[in-house]
Amino acid sequence: MADSGQSFSYAQDKLTFLLALVPYLVDIGRVSVSDAAAHFQVSEQQIRDAVSLIAVSGVPGETFQYQHGDLFDIAWDDFDEHDEIVITHRVALDDSPRFSAREAAALIAGLQYLQSLPENIDRGVYSSLMDKLARGASERPSQVAIARQGATGSLAEVRDALARGVQLEFDYLASRGTREHRTVDPLRIDSDDESWYLRAWDHRRGAVRTFRFDRLSALVVTDRPASSAHDDVRLGDLVFQGGDDDLIVTVEVDPAAVGLLGEYLSQVDEAPDAQTGAHGRVRAHIRVAHIHGLKRLVTSNASSLTVVGPPEARAAVADWADAALRRYLE
Amino acid sequence: MAPEKLTPAPVPVEERLFSLVLALLATETGLTKNEILSTVQGYRQRYRSGGDNASLERQFERDKDDIRELGVPLETLESPGDPGNNQQLRYRIPRTAYELPADIAFSAAETTLLNLAAMAWREGSLSRESRRALLKLRSTGVETTEPVLGYAPRIRTRDSAFEPLSTALARRVSARFLYLKPGDPAARMRTVAPLALVQHQGRWHLKATDLDLDEPRTFLLSRISGAVTLGRKPLDLPAADYAALALAELDAIWDANVAELEVQNGTDAQLRLSRRRGAEDAGDGRIRLHFTDTALLADELAGFGPEVRVLGPAQLVESVVDRLRAVSAAHRDTASGTTAPGTTSPGIEQEAR
Repeated sequence: MADSGQSFSYAQDKLTFLLALVPYLVDIGRVSVSDAAAHFQVSEQQIRDAVSLIAVSGVPGETFQYQHGDLFDIAWDDFDEHDEIVITHRVALDDSPRFSAREAAALIAGLQYLQSLPENIDRGVYSSLMDKLARGASERPSQVAIARQGATGSLAEVRDALARGVQLEFDYLASRGTREHRTVDPLRIDSDDESWYLRAWDHRRGAVRTFRFDRLSALVVTDRPASSAHDDVRLGDLVFQGGDDDLIVTVEVDPAAVGLLGEYLSQVDEAPDAQTGAHGRVRAHIRVAHIHGLKRLVTSNASSLTVVGPPEARAAVADWADAALRRYLE
Repeated sequence: MAPEKLTPAPVPVEERLFSLVLALLATETGLTKNEILSTVQGYRQRYRSGGDNASLERQFERDKDDIRELGVPLETLESPGDPGNNQQLRYRIPRTAYELPADIAFSAAETTLLNLAAMAWREGSLSRESRRALLKLRSTGVETTEPVLGYAPRIRTRDSAFEPLSTALARRVSARFLYLKPGDPAARMRTVAPLALVQHQGRWHLKATDLDLDEPRTFLLSRISGAVTLGRKPLDLPAADYAALALAELDAIWDANVAELEVQNGTDAQLRLSRRRGAEDAGDGRIRLHFTDTALLADELAGFGPEVRVLGPAQLVESVVDRLRAVSAAHRDTASGTTAPGTTSPGIEQEAR
């Protein structure tokens, strides 16, 4: 983790790192480069670069000349030969910086979001934490908030199975309308705003599958241990899991709505002539596992999304809409 | 801006900013702009004594903004003997306003939660802010713990208006954007004082004061089209918990609006809609559902196709039928000769678009 840690592309972020690193180093006295890297979840090289910069930085001082005593100093031998950091002289900086209004707001809103998790965390823990963040900000935190969601049905049971490492069984309603019994080893609970997903190893399919929580029913937490063989499966961010039988569909989409395609999107055609399509729309190609997901996606985005081809995809969408319209004629 | 070619080895930006923060933290009385430009590392190399330093001054202005955005309280002091003289303004960073108060410490359990909260923002608008907040948290030496295993929460900010509006909130400036209200023939330009950004039912809303009408308004970010332009002058906004207020208002609307649906047994619609917060089983395959916005719910319900028939309110029925007709018309090739049943449906007028 440490060596593949975050890197900073913006000067503001690099500055924050420097301002955060100094008080940590001062406080800890002596620390190895690798421990510091692990602590901040950055690469060892980032730590070395930052320490090298800190060691030659300081204040103009009385003479305005950055004299020796106006600069930070480190134990160079320890640094060069043992990869250890000891700050031997420091200037100006003592303590950790406050949060900015937006930084505090981001974490506070994140905590509000997490309150929907079925963890046994006292509400008081959240509110005291939010209070600390607000007091630790240099300005009143920005007004950003996320509404508390209702409890997501089986989340607590799945979380329990995950924690105890046991298999789950449930009925799953696929978007094509079929209900299937599944046995899985739960791997992770993902969320995407108000949608919750179970990432799990599906026994019958012998592969990782993603299940929407609101399509699960008859959930049983078994006593059978889940295999640890899949613990190392790298779960990326929630993405549409393509298969060989995926359908590639060409759509016209309002540029502002491209984000709605989210996981389905495989490629947006950025060719200039595509921009001149009807109503300033762009053409995009999306991958769908089957037509059933597509017809739902398109009819729920009537004003911004149209299927251009293939013809059978267009027909499936039209049939779906027509079948729905027929219900209003009954 | 064209890079200055005069200095052989330019000082990295972060070194200049770091030196500026150190210099301003170290001074009690403050430094004038001229003192900063002529002495602080990163500026002094480009400073021309007695010459034109206009580009360097502009650089300093941008640096001040960048530093303030990080929560560094950069202060300006007027010279008592010469108020109003910009050249005599003194800059400093008061230590107590800069440093995290000593009594604020985070336990390992709290840090775990904060890591997870930051992770939820891992993509999108506030991801850099959360990462910076975590750096500051780790600065206090608190034990780093991995996020709670087994969760990967994610907050989305797909609306492109989120980023500029959250900037407007942080800077307390006005925002202008084109807003398409459902039912209106075209988007209209709005100028507002942003008060809060809230996510309700998975959608981002802006609570603001419409400056043309001088009235409070709530906007759905997904209905903002095109660019959002920000004002320059900070607005005078009375402090209040606008976010909580906005959520309470949306909850009240949600409470008051009830849709009545008929869902087919065993379908996706039945399973998922009946599990919504506040969904009520009204018997006979009927579900009552609260909602905040007719157009948004109509989009969603149209997606369920024949699995759902909307019974009311009338405006929702009309909106859903409208959408279904539009989809049918856009996907039915006229050459095939089939007529969509919707086009012959009596009683429901096509809404003007």
